[in-house]
Amino acid sequence: MAFVKLARVEEIPPGQTKYVCPEGRPVILANYDGGIYALTGICPHRNNPLEGAILWDHLIDCPFHHFQYDVRTGENHFPRNVYPPDLPRLQTQLRPLKVFPVKIEDGWIWADLS
Amino acid sequence: MGKVARQVVEQAGVNVDVLLDKLIRAASAEFTTFYYYTILRVNSIGFDGEGLKEIIEDARIEDRNHFEALTPRIYELGGALPRDIRGFADVAGCPDAYLPSDPRDMKQMLNVLVEAERCAIRTYNEICGMTFGKDHRTYEIALAILHEEIEHEAWFSEFMGEGPSGHFRRGAPGASPHVRKFMTADIG
Repeated sequence: MAFVKLARVEEIPPGQTKYVCPEGRPVILANYDGGIYALTGICPHRNNPLEGAILWDHLIDCPFHHFQYDVRTGENHFPRNVYPPDLPRLQTQLRPLKVFPVKIEDGWIWADLS
Repeated sequence: MGKVARQVVEQAGVNVDVLLDKLIRAASAEFTTFYYYTILRVNSIGFDGEGLKEIIEDARIEDRNHFEALTPRIYELGGALPRDIRGFADVAGCPDAYLPSDPRDMKQMLNVLVEAERCAIRTYNEICGMTFGKDHRTYEIALAILHEEIEHEAWFSEFMGEGPSGHFRRGAPGASPHVRKFMTADIG
């Protein structure tokens, strides 16, 4: 386990995200329904940073193409829900975000980025 | 490009390069959606599809109008559309609205349509937020488009039985009641 200190809890109000880049590793933090989540900070669709991503309920919305990911699982929600399964090349755009284990100590958010 | 047209936006605190990136992505999404909605409209047939066809057509034409309204603003601000249409399609700010695997399944069709409109709403809401009180002209164009995208979502959402909005279809196909005033070349 290699937990890395990322941010103060109060830096991410409910319904907000924060993009951090500890040791050159982009991470997107999200505060959803009382929980803090940490996920890969790069959208796997086109490898764009998720800096400025908006949270719609439990979905992180990439600011570049509006691909949406479930903060709890990292799975793509949109456009997975509309992409036709008979076009397999599209499925490669729908890779999930990695979800990192999170712990909070003394108001600091830590995530295991290993 | 209008020198002062860009300067006033910069001096108001807007990062014009970032704004242009968003406007070009939005224009691309409108252009590609016009293409995909053509395919969706063509395939909207049968007992359920025929009723859907006319509102797809309204949304299809209005999305093309949105492209027409955005393009002059991109150039006014010193931007440009990509020379290669392939590159243009690749930067679209919303995912492509593909024809579903079973084009006779109108629920699948509606899901594609309503999600495309929701993505458009998020796009213009963001541009409005970025330009409000700073770039009045872009804000007004984006707001006019936002009005129409919200109506499009309501049409498709109502078709899915998600609740009434009080809207009705256009008097003429793709009339663009909000965006029309920005399509200055088309107004006789």
